Amino acid sequence: MAEYKLLLEHSDDTAYRTLDGYRKKGGYKALEKAVKMERQAIIDEVKASGLRGRGGAGFPTWIKWNGLPKEKVGKKHYVVCNADEGEPGTFKDKQLMEETPFLLVEGMTIAGFATQGDAGFIYIRGEFIDAAKALRAAIDEAYAAGLLGKNILGSGRDFDLYIHMGAGSYECGEESALMSSLMGERGMPRLKFPHAPLPTISGLWDSPTLINNVETYTCVPFIVNKGGEWYQTLGAATKNSRGTKIFSVSGHVNKPGNYEIEFGTTLNELLEMSGGMKGGKLKACVPGGSSVPIIDAEMCGRAVLGYEEMSDVKSMVGSGGCMFLNEHTCIVSFIWRTAMFYAQESCGKCTPCREGTKWMLQIMERIVAGNGQPGDKELLLEVCSQIDGRSFCGLGDAAAWPVAAAIRVFPEEFDYFIANGKSMVKSSKDLMLVP
Amino acid sequence: MSDFLQLGSPNERPRAPRLDELDLKFSDQALAELDELYSHYPDKKSCILPGLWIAQREYGGYLNGEAIAEVAYHLKRSYAEVEGVATFYSMYNTVHAVGKHMIEVCTCLSCQVCGAYPVAEYLKKKLGVGFGETTEDGVFTLHEVECLNACDRAPVLQVGSSYHGPVDEKSIDALLENLRAQEESTVIQMANDIVKVQTGPLKSK
Repeated sequence: MAEYKLLLEHSDDTAYRTLDGYRKKGGYKALEKAVKMERQAIIDEVKASGLRGRGGAGFPTWIKWNGLPKEKVGKKHYVVCNADEGEPGTFKDKQLMEETPFLLVEGMTIAGFATQGDAGFIYIRGEFIDAAKALRAAIDEAYAAGLLGKNILGSGRDFDLYIHMGAGSYECGEESALMSSLMGERGMPRLKFPHAPLPTISGLWDSPTLINNVETYTCVPFIVNKGGEWYQTLGAATKNSRGTKIFSVSGHVNKPGNYEIEFGTTLNELLEMSGGMKGGKLKACVPGGSSVPIIDAEMCGRAVLGYEEMSDVKSMVGSGGCMFLNEHTCIVSFIWRTAMFYAQESCGKCTPCREGTKWMLQIMERIVAGNGQPGDKELLLEVCSQIDGRSFCGLGDAAAWPVAAAIRVFPEEFDYFIANGKSMVKSSKDLMLVP
Repeated sequence: MSDFLQLGSPNERPRAPRLDELDLKFSDQALAELDELYSHYPDKKSCILPGLWIAQREYGGYLNGEAIAEVAYHLKRSYAEVEGVATFYSMYNTVHAVGKHMIEVCTCLSCQVCGAYPVAEYLKKKLGVGFGETTEDGVFTLHEVECLNACDRAPVLQVGSSYHGPVDEKSIDALLENLRAQEESTVIQMANDIVKVQTGPLKSK
């Protein structure tokens, strides 16, 4: 299958970033339609579309939307957009915010209508200043045109939208940590369902809160406009993944960038779209951001991009950050850097993750320094198994999976590095993957 | 353990100043911005992050004890609480004062495999400083950062509000030259940009 541009159709068109240009291309038709719809009818459209969360977990979006109280009980309802894109290898939200800001604003406004939201917050990571400026310009225009604020399109309903900037923390991409951060705390995760109520019941300031990823919200105008039935025909070849997904392709490819595809496209086709491998044959791929298990060339050849389909190659779609590595890449050095990332970004709340990620880094450091000891591979696996599933949020799991997967897929590289104190890949020294 | 991790654990914490000794420095503009931020959230506590961004701008890019105390004072929170928040996030400069321009090199995965470490080595040599250090003339601070999420432009650098990538030795030379000639501090500019996108009146029809 080729590229299928739905969200990114007009991304090159600078006029699309202004309200006039956006409206000319059919913008705000969906909101005009949603204004006349019953709240439940909007949610039913989202349900019919089969849309699943694009942030990484793939949770059915309509369940969240449907989870907010249908009648308000004296508390405000909030709509939050998770724009704290931090997963290494992913840069789709950045492009969406910079080039199609109105899609996000419209999507969030519709979400506000469907869930009786009073106010919306877009939590943007601090580094994304260009994205924040583009969004801010869009919000200003929408306010001036009466598409945000009081009595939107004469519906009698109000919706305010604010930008909240983060300040450099990967952990804040996790929804409960993001809410802590928005409420002025350290970005640490909270107890989760079933030990605590869902955010849809008790989220921001103990009020019902809807929280979705940027890409998820930007799908909403299309779903409302063309109908959920239409949307779910995209990706119909897959088991349970509907619509399009943007994959951010980086690493050793000729044309790195964002590629929007229909679910059911193969990983090979994605590689072809991005211009093929650069500097050598394909060796491995991390298909969905640093957290997902790495796969080798053979698995890449049979990987189909879909939430369920990717488990056939023991990996995941994740956030769509697809890194291709060529034959000159030392996997051990690559995993060392992955371990360093998680050790640096662990928020420190849960002991298994806080200590475990540092231990993994220590072991990986001594391996790449040439001081690996016999049994280090088994020790790493042991630490991984002690982190996985033992922390509040997914960061601990995400730190353990890539290490465990790399040892599973490329055991000989680890054995060689530990036994000989140097990489099995001859040219890796020239590439300087380790300072 | 790598130097990288030590950056998060400073030897020198800003000392908590006594609130009655506090010399308030926020400009009228900053106070107006704070006032506006209060209207976005149901409580003042939620303004800690945006408040710290304002302080980072007002105090010249470095959050010392006085800056943190002033945020705590305006928001009516304790010093410890605000300090706890400020030190958690990597973009608040709480560890040491920084130069006029902060050069942040991404060395995370995609950049790593696209040659970020040679770029970082070149920068270290060129500036004569290591990660987390400032040049003697106080112009540049070099930092190693985690994924900047511009992996299509790897290897990528962030200076102030803008990303530069893919970079090589030549483009780095040109970039450094441009920055040297620049009067305004990109560190303060960036804090200002971040404050500006969050504040300013939202006009309804």
